Amino acid sequence: MSAPIDTAPHDDDVSGDGGEGRPLLRLRHLSTDIALRRGTVHALDDVNLEVRPGETLGIVGESGSGKTMTALSVMGLLPSGGSVVGGQILFEGRDLRSLPPDEVRRIRGVRMGMVFQDPLTSLNPTMRIGTQVAEPLRVHEGVGKAEARERAIEMLRRVGMPRADKIVDDYPHRLSGGMRQRAVIAMALICSPRLLIADEPTTALDVTTQRQILELIDDLREEFGMAVILVTHDLGVIAGRAERVAVMYAGRVVETAPTARLFRSPRHRYTEALMESLPESATRESGARERLYSIPGLPPDLSRPLNGCRFAPRCRFAAPECRTTEVTLSAGEHGYACLHPVTATTAAASVRTVAARPSAPEAASETGSETDSEAILSVRDLVKDYGATTGGLLRRTSGRVSAVAGVSFEVRPGETFGLVGESGCGKSTVGRLAVGLESPTGGRIVLDGTDIATLDRRERRRMRRQVQLMFQDSYAAMNPRMRVDAILAEPLEIQQVGDASARRARVTALLDQVGLSRRVLERYPHEFSGGQLQRLGLARALALRPRLIVGDEPVSALDVSIQAQVLNLMRDLQRELGLAYVFISHDLSVVDYMSDRIGVMYLGKLVEVGPAHDVVRAARHPYTQALIDAVPSADPGLAASRESVTIRGELPSALNPPTGCRFRTRCPIAEGICETEPPLAGDLHQVACHFPLRPESRTAAAPTG
Amino acid sequence: MARYLIVRLGQALVIVVLVTIITFVILHLLPGGAARATLGKEATLEQLAAFDHEMGYDRPWIQQYVMYVRRLLHGDLGYSFQLNQSVTEAIGQRLPKTMALSLLSTLLAVVAAVPLGVVQATRRNRWPDYTITSLSLLAYATPIFFLGLMMIILFSQVWPILPPEAPQGFTLGEVLADPAGLVLPTVTLAVVTVAVYSRYVRSSMVDNLNENYVRTARSKGLSERRVVVLHTLRNGLFPVITLLGMYLPALFSGALVVESLFNFPGMGQLFWQAALKRDFPILLGVTLIISVATVLGALLADILYAAVDPRVRLRGSAS
Repeated sequence: MSAPIDTAPHDDDVSGDGGEGRPLLRLRHLSTDIALRRGTVHALDDVNLEVRPGETLGIVGESGSGKTMTALSVMGLLPSGGSVVGGQILFEGRDLRSLPPDEVRRIRGVRMGMVFQDPLTSLNPTMRIGTQVAEPLRVHEGVGKAEARERAIEMLRRVGMPRADKIVDDYPHRLSGGMRQRAVIAMALICSPRLLIADEPTTALDVTTQRQILELIDDLREEFGMAVILVTHDLGVIAGRAERVAVMYAGRVVETAPTARLFRSPRHRYTEALMESLPESATRESGARERLYSIPGLPPDLSRPLNGCRFAPRCRFAAPECRTTEVTLSAGEHGYACLHPVTATTAAASVRTVAARPSAPEAASETGSETDSEAILSVRDLVKDYGATTGGLLRRTSGRVSAVAGVSFEVRPGETFGLVGESGCGKSTVGRLAVGLESPTGGRIVLDGTDIATLDRRERRRMRRQVQLMFQDSYAAMNPRMRVDAILAEPLEIQQVGDASARRARVTALLDQVGLSRRVLERYPHEFSGGQLQRLGLARALALRPRLIVGDEPVSALDVSIQAQVLNLMRDLQRELGLAYVFISHDLSVVDYMSDRIGVMYLGKLVEVGPAHDVVRAARHPYTQALIDAVPSADPGLAASRESVTIRGELPSALNPPTGCRFRTRCPIAEGICETEPPLAGDLHQVACHFPLRPESRTAAAPTG
Repeated sequence: MARYLIVRLGQALVIVVLVTIITFVILHLLPGGAARATLGKEATLEQLAAFDHEMGYDRPWIQQYVMYVRRLLHGDLGYSFQLNQSVTEAIGQRLPKTMALSLLSTLLAVVAAVPLGVVQATRRNRWPDYTITSLSLLAYATPIFFLGLMMIILFSQVWPILPPEAPQGFTLGEVLADPAGLVLPTVTLAVVTVAVYSRYVRSSMVDNLNENYVRTARSKGLSERRVVVLHTLRNGLFPVITLLGMYLPALFSGALVVESLFNFPGMGQLFWQAALKRDFPILLGVTLIISVATVLGALLADILYAAVDPRVRLRGSAS
């Protein structure tokens, strides 16, 4: 330890392991401001937290709740304009705010480590992996070049990097997202820190990769005996990994408790509402789905002065005093800042079933998805190849990327067909082919009984009215210089529907349908929040009165409470207008909640198709099972007890997909016969596997009636 | 990589040919004609006709162009009657001197602009940034002849430490032997370039400093200096490569104004005088050189990119 100007009194003996009961990190009344041109955002206000040595603290909250700002305040990595304006950050007994900057830098580099959200951008693109991983050693411990390289390789091995001795000399762009995140973790751990802060470490990754990374962090925590702060918006991720959880809302910690206790009996009304917004809380064992609870409104603007409980304006149980009384976190192991907390009796009254539990039987299938009604969309042996090109200007085709390889399914009127799979599985391509944005390499697309390929240009254009698309990022999908009225009227103009006044009437009707005020007509896209943009996107998709809407990850960018609003809206409109949806998502719980039937894709092929309930609860394909098992459940008990199919390794390249069953290279039960391609077989619950995990369940196979 | 280069060179060749055609046509459409310009006011019509016939200027211009290209392929850029020497020789004498001047000023500009840009980016929206921004805009907005004149007045009249005229040596060696004379033209040329370059460096560094990888670097507890110099600078200098590529033609053509102002015997002056005298062979020769330099500059920038950015390198080597 270099000798700092020692202003901190008698804390010399704490710098090592720290006392047993003494917290490693303690935040006391921490307040952080971010100065923007238009004012100051009070990102954190009086945050109190502690992390004990060796434990994992989960910080959960929606965007803008201050969870990331808390992490960045501790690390001293606030964005420009940001500064800690009050309180203490006590790390190993010393207040980081009162230490000289050089000392804080050293602590940051050696005693703490941080893993960031987006592994694709968090490594320097022009620096070798090894150099980046070993840099803290070189800087803080004065380790020589050769030794640093050796230790980097060693650390890369420990984080499970294959061919570590090769990767060490590679540049980041050659690695996949999961591998890059491993490299970032290796970098954070190279100096054996006491505290690892992981800020949404798996949000940008696929579920199966997410699972690998979370397990890695868990293992390393034990191995290194360090504490971990796991920052995430995903209650499921927290449930399985953290010992204690802090729930943040609008720059404050509103509730903190041991994980099991928090999930079993949340006290704060926000925590309660958040859990009820989860799609899995409304999906019943019987297959019925209840309406999601959605928190109304938006989080408060933190640049304005706020009084009372910050959740009060959106709270079902708010009383007048909630808006005026400042509430602080109650003392004890389970602290909460709520005047009218959930009590045992109210908890029983409010239905809260995070774990899927049987409930009163409802109409099992609300939409009449009888087999006899003719399909609105029928896709037969759909194939899409892309020429892989190399050499920039040259465009030399060096192979074919098989994005979609023989996909067949049907969507009936009023039905929701869910498509799940990890990134690169071809689910979005199927969506784009279905709406006619791209033309297939092979196969047939039959829309409302007509084969698209047989139509001429004009007829095809008219046909397009039937199918519309809804995007993940509606902002990017709207012209930022067009006002809402122009955006919504454009499809009508292109298809020459009605005259100007009829179009205006239609546009206002659309706004009513999606629950937006008519006053927004003169606004521009950037003036809307994420949830409102998805409403607008839906309104635009509805403009031409389509019969089918293809939603490509329509809620993936939204917070849980906003997601619930949009999902409810989509279901309401489906019921009112008899819409059919193709719902594409990587999020199994959302697809499960929304869909009547689900198709699971892997590397361009459908591996399993069936009723949503059966596919999720009685999966027949090993890949589906692995996917289900990888999804972290927002139920600590379930997460701990689960014994599951785990897949390792990376998705093979679609440039040279494996022959036969494409999953066989990662399948735990693959045998020789898997080199021949299994057909999609079955009655209603079909699977393309030589060794299905279970036979088709008879209850599901029984036709309606 | 080799394949990529061949294709790029092919494209470059097409552009060069197009440039020669366009220049050729424009020059021949100009009133006055080469004969009058060469033989002077006193020449009779017969003499003019004889000259045109001898030079082939009375033939259709397409034919003339073919002749021109044929000579070109033999390395013959033509003969200037005005200068009484071959174009190759005339350019050969001046090109090295111009290149020396341009290289010196570019070097000076880069050396000055990179730190300035970095200082601005790291102290964004604070007084060093505002000061340098104001000065850059001022330098950029000042007409270069005015700037040059002010330099001459200041440093050779008011405070006579430097000669007002560039060295008049015949060869590159003679020019370089008189470094004091090169100072004013070099600095004058560099001032404007510094202004442009530092703006590019600034904005590129600002973008890069906001990147996630910089935050990662900071999370390792690196000093700010290390973060900026080791992590950000390399990525931040990519736009400068493009700029350097675009600047290459200037390296060959010289700066008209500065060369005239300081009476520097370089390409710019040659071109200027040839234009005044309608010295077609010289004009064509210089234009050709500049167009080749332009195309080469773009090509060079691409290759440099591949050398410094591993992501580009991958794409190149894969073919």
